[in-house]
Amino acid sequence: MLRIEHLSKTYPTGTQALKDVTFNVPDGEFMVVIGLSGSGKSTLLRCINRLIDPTEGKIYWDDTDITAANPTELRHIRRNIGMVFQQFNLVKRSSVLTNVLSGRLGYANPWLSLLGIWPQAEKERAIKALERVGIADKAHNRADALSGGQQQRVGIARALMQEPKIILADEPVASLDPVLSHSILQYLEVLNKEGITVICSLHFLDLVHRYATRVVALKDGVKVFEGTAQEIDRAKFKEIYGEEAQEVRAASM
Amino acid sequence: MEIKRSPLLAALLSLAIPGLGQVYAGQRYRGVSILIGSLVAAGMVFWYGDPLWYFVPVVIQLWNAWDAFSLAGQGRARSILIPVVFAMAAAYTIGWQVVGIDFAAADANRALQILRPMLRPDFIQPRREVNSMYVPVEVPCSPQPAQARREEDGKTAMVMPDCGRVGETMIVNVTGLWPNTETEIVWNTPIGNALMLGGNEDAMLKMQTDETGALTTTVRVPRTALVAAPDPTLPQNHRVVVYQYRPLGGIELSYIGGEVAHGALATVGMALIATVLAVIFAIPISFLAAHNLMSGNPVTYAIYFVVRTLLNILRSIESLIIAIVFVVIVGLGTFAGALALALHSIAALAKLYSEVIEGIDPGPIEAIRATGANWLQTVRYAVIPQIIPPFTAFTIYRWDINVRSATIVGFVGGGGLGFLLIELIRVNNMQGVSAVFITIAVIVTAMDYISAKIRERLV
Repeated sequence: MLRIEHLSKTYPTGTQALKDVTFNVPDGEFMVVIGLSGSGKSTLLRCINRLIDPTEGKIYWDDTDITAANPTELRHIRRNIGMVFQQFNLVKRSSVLTNVLSGRLGYANPWLSLLGIWPQAEKERAIKALERVGIADKAHNRADALSGGQQQRVGIARALMQEPKIILADEPVASLDPVLSHSILQYLEVLNKEGITVICSLHFLDLVHRYATRVVALKDGVKVFEGTAQEIDRAKFKEIYGEEAQEVRAASM
Repeated sequence: MEIKRSPLLAALLSLAIPGLGQVYAGQRYRGVSILIGSLVAAGMVFWYGDPLWYFVPVVIQLWNAWDAFSLAGQGRARSILIPVVFAMAAAYTIGWQVVGIDFAAADANRALQILRPMLRPDFIQPRREVNSMYVPVEVPCSPQPAQARREEDGKTAMVMPDCGRVGETMIVNVTGLWPNTETEIVWNTPIGNALMLGGNEDAMLKMQTDETGALTTTVRVPRTALVAAPDPTLPQNHRVVVYQYRPLGGIELSYIGGEVAHGALATVGMALIATVLAVIFAIPISFLAAHNLMSGNPVTYAIYFVVRTLLNILRSIESLIIAIVFVVIVGLGTFAGALALALHSIAALAKLYSEVIEGIDPGPIEAIRATGANWLQTVRYAVIPQIIPPFTAFTIYRWDINVRSATIVGFVGGGGLGFLLIELIRVNNMQGVSAVFITIAVIVTAMDYISAKIRERLV
């Protein structure tokens, strides 16, 4: 169980990205965060693994206070939380295998990893992770030689290396062709079925209906909705996305 | 809403001060531009001082008044083509005269004298055995000159008389040489300059030995024999030297060829040393000159600003000029050249590196931090893979540039091919010059190709 309590974040520029956000994520949930660009979705996800430090509020994971963790504790927490990004965030010039292995850095011997030396067992684990997302044959290609969909699958394989309890996915399909969206989200869905909690921000409402077990909506940093996808009716939709919004279906694009 | 403006007043204002009429007509920028343009044109013409060109500012001024008149009256600007054409014509003609272009100075015969030997670069020669002999001769005479006679390996060389003044004729006799072989006779001054004795002292004196290996000829003490002597009245030992050559089959580097090969090595080495030195200093400096790292607080921003300014100043000084300074400090040679190239390269590389750091993608850093990696691991897996290839590419590119600059730096005493080249030009050895040219071209082309290939792979 992940508990987010009264979370607020104000950037040094004065932008208030999150305002007093509170909700719980029970284990095994496929929690989707929706909202317009700039509504605070990315900030919220990054507060959970503290890539961004919240200004106020607490995040508890079971009994651990993530927001109070010291650097060593934080690294141990982080290695249990995989993250997938909109821009994939692979090191483009490194090989796919190196990118996947880097997901294991939190567990690896720091000195050997600095020399770029990885035990055979870890390499095998990386190949297995790539097999799970169906691109083991690309292991020795440069990351930027892959298509967008393939790069995102490398991103998932990297997260898998962490043997995560939670996966944070920040707009994982927003940079991809809509037809590829399902393929990526299905991988996340399978992982979710295996017991990994997924917290994912999404744009398209039909994807939300298809995958989310629970939805949180943000508007200007404030939580405006929490419930199941089916509860989002026309009125709620207008409330979340504003009066002028039209629902766009990923599949129809 | 339009304020009525008098065209005549506008024209008069512009006649008084260029552009004032246009400002009056509401076109401030046009007015200021015209003022600056007119001042530059007038300044150029008056500085050159030839009254022939005084009409140019007058024409510009008249156009200027017409433009102001038209602008105030009809709100229509006049084409700036007229003043620009006049100013350009004046600038170009004055430039032509200042440069002193004189195509008649290009003498075809002189050019041929230089170009013909250049078609035969002195780089390799048939392998040959050398048989040489010399005899010392005093110039000018001391009260009791030593005998100008010397024996070695069964060869005997003598000159009569034993000493002489510049321009005097002497008899040279050498025995024990190879028989029936062409022999070169050369005058060596005490500082080692080889002077030619044939023709009007501009050609090699060559003689055939007889069947006993003996040779007798007359030579004249060269006019330039004492040119470099500290005191022309002080008797010093010069030498008359003879050379014979016998082919051994195959080819070898000629003397100049050897020097060129050595110079080429020195040049590439100098560039390499300079580049390595520069990299060592440029890497830490580049972090101080990276905007994204240093703009966090006022102190680091001040450091960034100072470092950037220093780099820009240093980069604007040509390495040739830095080399002159270093030649004075550490003396002639490749070391001075390497230091000069290094200093210039530090500035250039630090700037390029800092731009790489500024352009780094923050995404992977975020991703690696999210895996629970520590700071060093994050640098190793997210930062270094991003900066190493462009750093390497820029470094190789710089080495390539440094090889080119190294030849130039040699001209002012920085050693290597450039130094050899300027020496060969001074002694008018055009065959050697040609060999150096070809070597430089080959090295630069090769470096260019290799560096392009490597960079292609890295970027």
